Amino acid sequence: MLLEVRDLHVEFRTRDGVAKAVNGVDYGVDEGETLAVLGESGSGKSVTAQAIMGILDMPPGRITGGEILFKGQDLLRLKEEERRKFRGAEMAMIFQDALSSLNPVLSVGDQLGEMFVVHRGMSRKDARARAVELMDRVRIPAAKERVRDYPHQFSGGMRQRIMIAMALALEPALIIADEPTTALDVTVQAQVMALLAELRRELNMGLILITHDLGVVADVADRIAVMYAGRIVESAPVHDIYKAPAHPYTRGLLDSIPRLDQKGQELYAIKGLPPNLMNIPPGCAFNPRCPMARDVCRTDAPPLYDVIPSDGTRVSACHFWTECLHG
Amino acid sequence: MPEQPLESEGVIAGTGTGGAMDLATTEAETPAKRPPPAFGGGPGGGTESTGKPRSLWSDAWRDLRRNPVFIVSGLIILFLIVISLWPSAIASGSPLDCDLAKSQQGSAPGHPFGYDGQGCDVYTRTVYGARTSVAVGVCAMLGVAILGSVLGALAGFFGGPWDSILSRITDIFFAIPVILGGLVLLSVVTSNSIWPVIGFMVLLGWPQISRIARGSVITAKQNDYVQAARALGASNSRMLLRHITPNAVAPVIVVATIALGTYIALEATLSYLGVGLKPPSVSWGIDISAASPYIRNAPHALLWPSGALAITVLAFIMLGDAVRDALDPKLR
Amino acid sequence: MGRYVVRRLVQMVPVFIGATLLIFLMVNVMGDPVAGLCGDRQCDPATAAQLRKEFGLDQPVWQQYLTYMGNVFTGDFGTAFNGQEVTELMSTAFPVTIRLTVVAILFEVVIGVTLGVVTGLRRGRPVDTGVLLLTLVVISVPTFVTGLLLQLLLGVEWGWIRPSVSPAAPFDELILPGLVLASVSLAYVTRLTRTSIAENRRSDYVRTAIAKGLPRHRVVTRHLLRNSLIPVVTFIGADIGFLMGGAIVTERIFNIHGVGYQLYQGILRQNTQTVVGFVTVLVLVFLLCNLVVDLLYAVLDPRIRYA
Repeated sequence: MLLEVRDLHVEFRTRDGVAKAVNGVDYGVDEGETLAVLGESGSGKSVTAQAIMGILDMPPGRITGGEILFKGQDLLRLKEEERRKFRGAEMAMIFQDALSSLNPVLSVGDQLGEMFVVHRGMSRKDARARAVELMDRVRIPAAKERVRDYPHQFSGGMRQRIMIAMALALEPALIIADEPTTALDVTVQAQVMALLAELRRELNMGLILITHDLGVVADVADRIAVMYAGRIVESAPVHDIYKAPAHPYTRGLLDSIPRLDQKGQELYAIKGLPPNLMNIPPGCAFNPRCPMARDVCRTDAPPLYDVIPSDGTRVSACHFWTECLHG
Repeated sequence: MPEQPLESEGVIAGTGTGGAMDLATTEAETPAKRPPPAFGGGPGGGTESTGKPRSLWSDAWRDLRRNPVFIVSGLIILFLIVISLWPSAIASGSPLDCDLAKSQQGSAPGHPFGYDGQGCDVYTRTVYGARTSVAVGVCAMLGVAILGSVLGALAGFFGGPWDSILSRITDIFFAIPVILGGLVLLSVVTSNSIWPVIGFMVLLGWPQISRIARGSVITAKQNDYVQAARALGASNSRMLLRHITPNAVAPVIVVATIALGTYIALEATLSYLGVGLKPPSVSWGIDISAASPYIRNAPHALLWPSGALAITVLAFIMLGDAVRDALDPKLR
Repeated sequence: MGRYVVRRLVQMVPVFIGATLLIFLMVNVMGDPVAGLCGDRQCDPATAAQLRKEFGLDQPVWQQYLTYMGNVFTGDFGTAFNGQEVTELMSTAFPVTIRLTVVAILFEVVIGVTLGVVTGLRRGRPVDTGVLLLTLVVISVPTFVTGLLLQLLLGVEWGWIRPSVSPAAPFDELILPGLVLASVSLAYVTRLTRTSIAENRRSDYVRTAIAKGLPRHRVVTRHLLRNSLIPVVTFIGADIGFLMGGAIVTERIFNIHGVGYQLYQGILRQNTQTVVGFVTVLVLVFLLCNLVVDLLYAVLDPRIRYA
């Protein structure tokens, strides 16, 4: 495994109480593999990613338990300075909103070149040349002229390409993309996603794709991990999940995708609201919204059950996963 | 969030609470930035609070009640208001009852702050000085706030040529240094009353508020619900009163509170320069000015009114600061 | 960029005219300028009329204003009634006040920005709370009180400095007055820097900079400071004008013979030419500072430069 997250716990201490954002997440991604992490806002998917990158705001955030193994090394045990050298060079992150995520007062060339200056000790001139190469690589037209431009002078899609170029600069082993296309127009979304998938393939990187868009996932992901209230509720190869989900929450997500063959029917919606992270319901966190919930769900938190065929590739955190799978 | 009932639908994650909001921003998924959810949530897309309705003001009030800065400054101001209305409650003598024989003497029984150069009781004069300061500050603030917010709101709401004219006039007033303007205008005044000083402050102070009011009216006007009200055919006066004013008023209140403190300081400064209030008015500025020549022999005559002045100004500025923090959810 | 400068310059003109006209009118309200001429005695009507004619005071106010402005643009600020050229007064007074302002600005930049950065990076810690409280106190104590107290302590009690400044007003004697003049602005600079740093510290691009694996000092200096100091630089720029106008109190306390002193004398003696002349120059300085600030803004923030 390139990256393995084991039993990760993260909480945020705020004035109003402690919010348990991540409550024992396990997932992993191999070299060359794309893992899609799905979930609503507040499900802990971004917080987990930030914990992996080591860019959580601490305080108020706090990692209270677990391991993050990267190439077999527990990142949480490293000193900050050692950790820093991993960021950008070994693992990189693409953020949702490229306009606010790029520094408004530095030219994109400076921001791209900075990777080479800091991590590779290059001169500014060489770094500038590499920046142009990178911009070419993500297919920004007239890269040579535009390298001196500032982020606000680019269109949304172009800015996101610059974010991608920045993440790929040092050819890291792992890329985490946090809703990379959510802020873009639909037509641009597909282009950017295709570019990201293509470059990932070329460089054989691991990719963690955080999203709440199930449409994107089917095309590019190898595996899916579904998160709810800071836990993985189901994790499986992408086709298995689409064929037959083994968790009622996953089922709810799939059923709420609008489909052409269901024109005229009412769109399905999961009832209720995501849980308050300061007060997660006992038992299975999903039980207040679950159509299959029984008494045991309100008292016992389900473990991750191995789902048939039990080859370890598929797990579900539902007491009644068999029912769900077949029903 | 103990006051929010656990409803059968599910537990609530309110966007209005500090904790959930922090999380929302950590997730980089603040409601404004969020596109329509790709999968169905409950009614309201899963982010609306359905608990007890909470407005900006009730939230702010809840915050303020727990804020020690607010409590302390509020108590000081309350105390100041009380002694301005009934100074005799804590000072038995008259501030004009002076005995040159006691000039510059230190504290004596019944006269804890000692005597100033004229032999007046510093304690009594300091207590009575509060009345002048509070009166000048409050009147000037009210004048500035009313004039400034009316002009600013109208300019912001109607825009066009009125707005341009007002903006230029505002620029002109901003270009005149306040103390210089005070010296020039007030040097001719011979009256002993506080009104010329207040009038001057309103004259030079309104542009500050009008700029704020104009800005917040323009911001409020662009809000979706105001646009919606306009689309539904609400009249101008109704929009201005019902939809825009409540939202634009918060920044004005904050700035006006802080300005009240600065007006008190300005009155003292002008009186120190000899163009503000003049004896026999009782003002901290006059007393500080009068005490400065014998600062060496009788520092107490300078220190007590200075201290009272500083605490008063501090209290108003802290109050304004606390209110601003409470009203600005961004800073939570 | 060129168009931007021209536009700003054009916008300045009505403000300059309005402000000077306002001052001109105020000074006219200030009282009969001729009355001051005959000293404490009442002028006899014939002399007064003679003087009025001589100074053009028998003409309507707007005409006086036009004549005056015409003269100003040829470098003639008129004559004070004691026969001294106003420009001569200016040439002795302005260098002193400029030196004082320079000292004050240095204090703002060095102490204010440093404290702001330190507290902004340590928001909520004891250093932050302490400095924040201190700035509130400094803002609340009026300058003349701060000045008098520091003069009492440092000048009289401890004898570290001369309580009043000599007429030449060299830089070393202006350190304390400069600090007093700067005090309130210094506190504002500290708070502004702190807020700006604290806000930007949570911004997305700072998070990106950290995610890029940049060392902390590089994140702070290159990404955080560069953005956070834009409003601070513009505040300090605009403050130059305010400080020169507000120097009158500080100059009075420390007996510095600068612009404020001359103005004060002019007002006491109802010397209209002096007052109008000095205030006109101060307004001009203020407007020019604002212009420079706007340009500086454009230089520092590319989003404005290319707008």
